[in-house]
Amino acid sequence: MKWFRSSALICVLAASVVPVAATQEHSSSTKNDILISTMQRELDRARSELQKHDPAPYFMSYSVYDQTVGMAIAGQGSLMNSTRTRRRSADVIMRVGAPALDNTHEENRVSALSSGTLPLADDPDAIAHVLWRLTYGEYRKASRAYLNVKTKTQVNAKEEDTSPDFSQETPQEHADYHSPATAPEQARLEKIARQCSGYLSKYPYIYSSIAIVTDQSSRFHFVSSEGTDVITPSATIRIAIEAETRADDGMDLMRVETFQAASLDHLPPDSEIAARVEKMATDLKNLRAAPVAEPFDGPALLSGRASAVFFHEVLGHRIEGHRQRGENEGQTFTKKVDQLVLPEFLSVTDDPTLRKLNGVDLGGWYTYDDEGVPASRVEVVKDGVLKTFLMSRIPVKNFGKSNGHGRSQPGAMPVGRQGNLIVSSTHTTKTEDLRQKLIDEVKKQGKPYGLYFDDIQGGFTLTQRSAPQSFQVLPIMVWRVYPDGRPDELVRGVDIVGTPLAAMNRILLTGDQTEIFNGICGAESGSVPVSAAAPAMLFSEIEVQKRSHSLNRPPILPPPGFDASGSPSPAKAGGQP
Amino acid sequence: MIGRFATSTRLLVLLSALLLTPAFGQQPAPAPFTTDDPVLQAMQAEMGRSKAHLKLEDMSAPYYIDYRVMDIDEYNAEAAFGAVRSDVRTRIRFLRVVVRVGSYKQDSYFGQGEGVMDVVPLENDVLAMRHQFWLATDRAYKAATEALTAKQAQLKQYTVDQPVDDFAVAPPLQSIAPLAKLEFDSKPWLKTLEDATALYTTDPEIQSLDSSLKFQVVNNYFMNSEGTVVRNGQLLASLNISASTQAADAMELDRSHGYSVVDLKNLPTADKVLARTRKLLDSLKDLRAATLVDEDYRGPVLFSADASSDVFADFVGENVLGLKPDLGQPARTKGAWASSYKTRVLPDFFSVVDDPTLATFDGKTLMGHYDVDDEGVKAVRVSLIENGKLVNYLLGRQPIRDFPASNGHGRARIPTNNPGPSLGSLIVRSSETLSREELKKKLIDLCQQRDLPYGYYVETLGPRRAPRLLYKVWVIDGREELVRGAVFGDLDARSLRNDVVAAGDDVNVDNLTMNIPHSVVAPSILFDELEVKRANTNKNKLPEYPAPAAQPKK
Repeated sequence: MKWFRSSALICVLAASVVPVAATQEHSSSTKNDILISTMQRELDRARSELQKHDPAPYFMSYSVYDQTVGMAIAGQGSLMNSTRTRRRSADVIMRVGAPALDNTHEENRVSALSSGTLPLADDPDAIAHVLWRLTYGEYRKASRAYLNVKTKTQVNAKEEDTSPDFSQETPQEHADYHSPATAPEQARLEKIARQCSGYLSKYPYIYSSIAIVTDQSSRFHFVSSEGTDVITPSATIRIAIEAETRADDGMDLMRVETFQAASLDHLPPDSEIAARVEKMATDLKNLRAAPVAEPFDGPALLSGRASAVFFHEVLGHRIEGHRQRGENEGQTFTKKVDQLVLPEFLSVTDDPTLRKLNGVDLGGWYTYDDEGVPASRVEVVKDGVLKTFLMSRIPVKNFGKSNGHGRSQPGAMPVGRQGNLIVSSTHTTKTEDLRQKLIDEVKKQGKPYGLYFDDIQGGFTLTQRSAPQSFQVLPIMVWRVYPDGRPDELVRGVDIVGTPLAAMNRILLTGDQTEIFNGICGAESGSVPVSAAAPAMLFSEIEVQKRSHSLNRPPILPPPGFDASGSPSPAKAGGQP
Repeated sequence: MIGRFATSTRLLVLLSALLLTPAFGQQPAPAPFTTDDPVLQAMQAEMGRSKAHLKLEDMSAPYYIDYRVMDIDEYNAEAAFGAVRSDVRTRIRFLRVVVRVGSYKQDSYFGQGEGVMDVVPLENDVLAMRHQFWLATDRAYKAATEALTAKQAQLKQYTVDQPVDDFAVAPPLQSIAPLAKLEFDSKPWLKTLEDATALYTTDPEIQSLDSSLKFQVVNNYFMNSEGTVVRNGQLLASLNISASTQAADAMELDRSHGYSVVDLKNLPTADKVLARTRKLLDSLKDLRAATLVDEDYRGPVLFSADASSDVFADFVGENVLGLKPDLGQPARTKGAWASSYKTRVLPDFFSVVDDPTLATFDGKTLMGHYDVDDEGVKAVRVSLIENGKLVNYLLGRQPIRDFPASNGHGRARIPTNNPGPSLGSLIVRSSETLSREELKKKLIDLCQQRDLPYGYYVETLGPRRAPRLLYKVWVIDGREELVRGAVFGDLDARSLRNDVVAAGDDVNVDNLTMNIPHSVVAPSILFDELEVKRANTNKNKLPEYPAPAAQPKK
């Protein structure tokens, strides 16, 4: 199961961001870089030593992520946790056998990886010792797995896809020592967290709220036995604000707002953040009073952000390259290359090289992937026709090369993942006219109303064969749009459900403006930052179901500081009850 | 002693019989409590509101509520091969709320009714803290209401009616101790960790050398609806060194050494840490050179006080806990000594107490010292084993058969567990003792009687009680010869009861910080028969290639 959601702990949503040129802190050459030179020296030594053994590795790489993460969490305007940690995670990857068949075959992928923690200081002897320990341990794991793989391929029937296990790529040399942003003081993060969570404490019906401010800066160091040598930086700051209430029938209602940028000074001004948080409070108040949605199958309009999440789940995860092979994968699109999979007016690219779109920083930006392959723009669907997949160095039938989409979090094996998924359309109308088009479609189908999905908190999709090939998207702000001129009616408790091929072919028309959803996406290679961008879309048919929810009543007593009517009580502070 | 205990037991049974009506205020009204501590103020405000108004229509109101806040300020650092790998300070305030509905005789403490957890703001903002107490109390009350129904439904499946109350009555207590603070300069400590682990260069065969540091201050706040208010703080500091190597036959050998103290002043100096690390590395060198243990041995084994305290911790410490069995189970406790009450569990020259009221033993700090337990009950010295016979169990407020009251041993695992019966300072004494020389002589005598060429002496144990430093003691000349690769075949509670024939006049104070800080004090002991066999370990290979050579210093 893959997820893409907006829980404040893990996900984000871009605010409109003022583009500012990256700051350059310092630069130096790899010659003076003790970390990368030690990695290189240990890798060379391991390679020549392990060549003497049977089976010998044919590929090795060291990845080191030097990450500093500052985090401040606050609730009710008061700080709950504040930490700043620096860590150097090292991943040793080893492949034994030959590219045609190696220890990573099928379900053995993890046998290629051993992870550990490196010293924080540039102490070459200490770094070398930790790498040495990891490397000979990894060699044992990889060679054991290789023997199993060899036996298993002889015992089992021939696989459908006989592609090799590892692609051939051109070695890369790239050293980018730019520091994209200056890390803010921890006190600054704490102040933002307090301030953002404080906005909500005046609303008695918001039972629970939290603000999480995360500042992360990282430098990725990669060396491989093929001669690749890559150093790239990255940085993000994000504010996630989550607010929860509960309707009288027990349904928990949550709103999340996130603001993300490459550095603190790119974030929107306080006044804009405050206004968006106030809107969350208003939304929640309206949602509590809103009727519960009924199961429905009919015309629907998805905002650009909602469409972006929809495409990330429904299409994006199914075009990840490694899912096209493997006996457990559903392989929805494997045999659809050069066939129509979307309406002809839609095209989809995944372009990690794009840093900004419409002035907004894109979360899925990177220059080199986690296998040291340069990022590239990939035209996945052109005029509705499927062209290719998002490839890591795991080849699939007819697609033997990586296109720079091998991604992972530290400590996981890279696989094909999305970066910046961008949906474009040639059949558009002005976005503001789409509501009328929805009404026209409702009338045409003789339905009592259509649905408008404004905001989506995330979703998940199942791609394994053992489960139905379905997806679920979790919208938050959903309106019934009536054909008779009545005002739109907010409803709650809606889930969009469906199967991918059917759903995507019911898109009739799109808006003319692209909206962006920045988030964190989780799958087997861990959590990676991604973006999805799309215009608003009109669907002839969307199926929704009732969301399951708890039956817990709202809290029995009013919140502290308020009386039963919801007015602030005279004694605001504690002391004697 | 036993007679007096029985009297108070009867009294408490009578008391609890009178207290069946589920409503607050059964306890004598405690003195009004006022405080300037913002955490306690927040607790008090929400406790007051909850006691007065928390009730679902047509359902019972709670009969008991408690709030526990654990304010943890922690510093962790780690080094390997002479360089720091992590260095992190964190602070967090956990909250646990338990709401009980029903009565002392039968209540909702079951499954989801065992309380809820949350996090409380660190800053002393009373209203913000109250907000978290309010939410957690509401959740805990609703969960408790459902849990009581679930429990009653499950009990209907069993024929046994409930012979033991669910919750013990305890007198209200107010005890406010000063807060503990964590103040130190990390730089010299990081240097010590680095210097100690840099000693790996003194021996090319060393494969890993790690050191770690953990300084933790836990300030506990506890308040219940019966009027108990407790605040206390404790500092726990530990420093650990561990190293590993492989013998020529590839057997993996590792050793570690730890220091645990309750005052940073009592941590060893850098010089002492370095000296201890060198000693550790020397012992690994000795172990590499040591001969492999013989395949079979059954005969006398002498345990040092250090090794013996580990044995008592496991086989006595685990079994004296008065853990109530699961619903419907008729046993007295969950442990191996559930049906050993008033029977012999150790040789008759041993007596065992658990005494949290002692701050030191033999001049050494006891980490198991506390004044009030985590359920707000005063700590009490408990005589557990008298002349080899089990006479009592350690108890929190959850009664077990024949033991209806807490004896002040309800302690909570850091950071988040509910309190339950746990060790404080377990002290094992022997009425007959021998000196180290006499013990060794007795070991040799026993071997001679059985025509054994040697006996064994264990100096320290490792994980799962495998001997780390084990010596053959030769009958012929008393020589001690280090061996490696041994495990004990039948070391258990039964062998401790039947096969220990003597105890030493020495004692070891073992301070253990994992989960719940506690201490075990025990003398060295001599088993007249124990099986020592070769460990059945999967021998890994030696590293495929040598460790990296040191880079020339610039």
